[in-house]
Amino acid sequence: MGSLSIGPLIQLGYSSCRLPSNRTRKPIAIRADGSPTSKDQQDQLNVSVLRFTFGIPGLDETYLPRWIGYGFGSLLLLNHFAGSDSSTTSAQLRTEGLGLSLAAFSVALPYFGRFLKGATRVDQVALPEGTQQIFVMSPTISDSEKEEFAWGSYVLLRNTNTVAVLISIQGELCVRGYWNVPYDNGTAKAPILDWFQRQIENIGLGDLKDVLYFPQVPGSELWEMLPNGTRSLLVVPVLQSRDGSGIEMIKNRGFVILASNMEYAYTEKDRAWIRAIANKFRVQLTVCPRLERFFGQFGPHLLMGGPALASAADSPISTLL
Amino acid sequence: MRGSMEAGTLLRGAIYWSFSSHSQRHLLQRARLRRDVLASSSNPQLQKSYQGPKPKRDLVPDWVSNNDSTARSLPIYVGGASLVAVLVNRAVSGIAPVADASSSQSRADLLALGLAVTSILTGLVWLTIKPKSISVVNPLGVECRMISSHLPDPLIAELLWAWESLSSVTCCRCLVVVYDGTCILQIGVAAESPDGEALAVDAARLTEGSVYQGVMKSGSQSYLANLSLYPGRSELPFLPSNTQAVILQPLGDKGIVIIGGDMIRGFTTADQAWITYLGEKLDTTIAKHTISGTPLKIQDRV
Repeated sequence: MGSLSIGPLIQLGYSSCRLPSNRTRKPIAIRADGSPTSKDQQDQLNVSVLRFTFGIPGLDETYLPRWIGYGFGSLLLLNHFAGSDSSTTSAQLRTEGLGLSLAAFSVALPYFGRFLKGATRVDQVALPEGTQQIFVMSPTISDSEKEEFAWGSYVLLRNTNTVAVLISIQGELCVRGYWNVPYDNGTAKAPILDWFQRQIENIGLGDLKDVLYFPQVPGSELWEMLPNGTRSLLVVPVLQSRDGSGIEMIKNRGFVILASNMEYAYTEKDRAWIRAIANKFRVQLTVCPRLERFFGQFGPHLLMGGPALASAADSPISTLL
Repeated sequence: MRGSMEAGTLLRGAIYWSFSSHSQRHLLQRARLRRDVLASSSNPQLQKSYQGPKPKRDLVPDWVSNNDSTARSLPIYVGGASLVAVLVNRAVSGIAPVADASSSQSRADLLALGLAVTSILTGLVWLTIKPKSISVVNPLGVECRMISSHLPDPLIAELLWAWESLSSVTCCRCLVVVYDGTCILQIGVAAESPDGEALAVDAARLTEGSVYQGVMKSGSQSYLANLSLYPGRSELPFLPSNTQAVILQPLGDKGIVIIGGDMIRGFTTADQAWITYLGEKLDTTIAKHTISGTPLKIQDRV
């Protein structure tokens, strides 16, 4: 019962993904019965009926004001320079000034319209090229944690505009999606995981306390590991408040990185749900108390500091890992 | 080390760090777990804190999201004002009010009019897709936290996580999970029974009712956006009487999750999709932990 075969049941959103076979990972399946069907069916539920459309498939009428703005603006300029035989009157200049500013306003309208509530995103963006799809997990995690990571990454990829997800909880990694890894397709997991670990340490995400959301990734390449064409980036820390000898501390237990190839990919609601999924991993920690016991034993002592700690902390780490 | 060796604060840190004159990288590799515990601000930072770019505040998207109705009617005002301005300009300049494409002035006027009309129409389209603002209706009932006590810890943790997520992200105010003929979770606001306590879920009656049968037969989520219009309302007596919206999510073919919300059409399509996945996850977890079948029988208050 509850088991589980891999393969065609796991579909990643808009691409069919053949997961690299991974012998050390227990096969996991998510049963897909009862999921809502197409996105169109969902969109009709909340939006009113009146919608101006030419009916041409693939043509996005939201951008119509922009094209009209460009077209009429250029016609105005054409009229100004080539249309009149006599010199232009001030009345004409006023009209043309008004017309050009209206054209600029029309061009900007689709941009404003994108942020209104109820606006649907129709832009289809191509998948990143030149990057490969990977799915690796740290080998040192238990089976139940593997299932949690697999489910969490699957849901995040499927339900949001994400092409790449990286989950790091207490040093254990789960990486899924399109990442810019400088290794070939057939390499073993260990070097890939080490490479990601080094990348994360270089960036310094271990101490993150706030959510980082870049709706428009700055022009220069932000992080080396992100796939080409990343336009939005969301980093959600997994925090846990612990009482250590009477002091309430918020500790960073890990984080979740999501990369998307659309700008403004994550709405408020998306971010709220992503935080909830990240909390799931935190809940998983309390349920698997082996590491918690270690922290509970040594936590207060580490705060006081002292040389005894280095030796005491050393051996349990090696045995636990 | 990272610049934190000022005298006074870090004597204890100094003792610890004197062990290793290695590079920071070496320490990181040896002490992955230690790093997490040292995250409190008074201690020397073992690892780099995040130094990268911070997201900057976007003015335009923030303004548009915050002033939704103003932003929607803005193109109409702009278009209307420009329309009037073109006509006034034409009148004031002493040109005959005849729409005539022969002079360049008229052509420029026509183009400006066309743009003004585009702006007005866009504003109208935006107004039509404005979601109706619906008010929250506080559910009438008593707080309730009832969970089967003999469930294994991971399952209880997952159920409580599901409740926390739903109640904080969506408009969910009550959550009921029925599996295999027993109610294993009833949490949130429940209808009040005659003796003042929360009305317990009669799982047997529920599983025989048409609501449950219908959901099981279709095998997919059922969203009752306005519960008062739904005739099967009487089969869900444990929900507060003024619950506005309900989502019924089947768990495989053995269970059901009933999510009650406090707003008509309060669950968005995104919520529905997430709840579907949540339901599948719960189904897998419950099935994994209840192979023997017996642990679900006893109910207890948490």
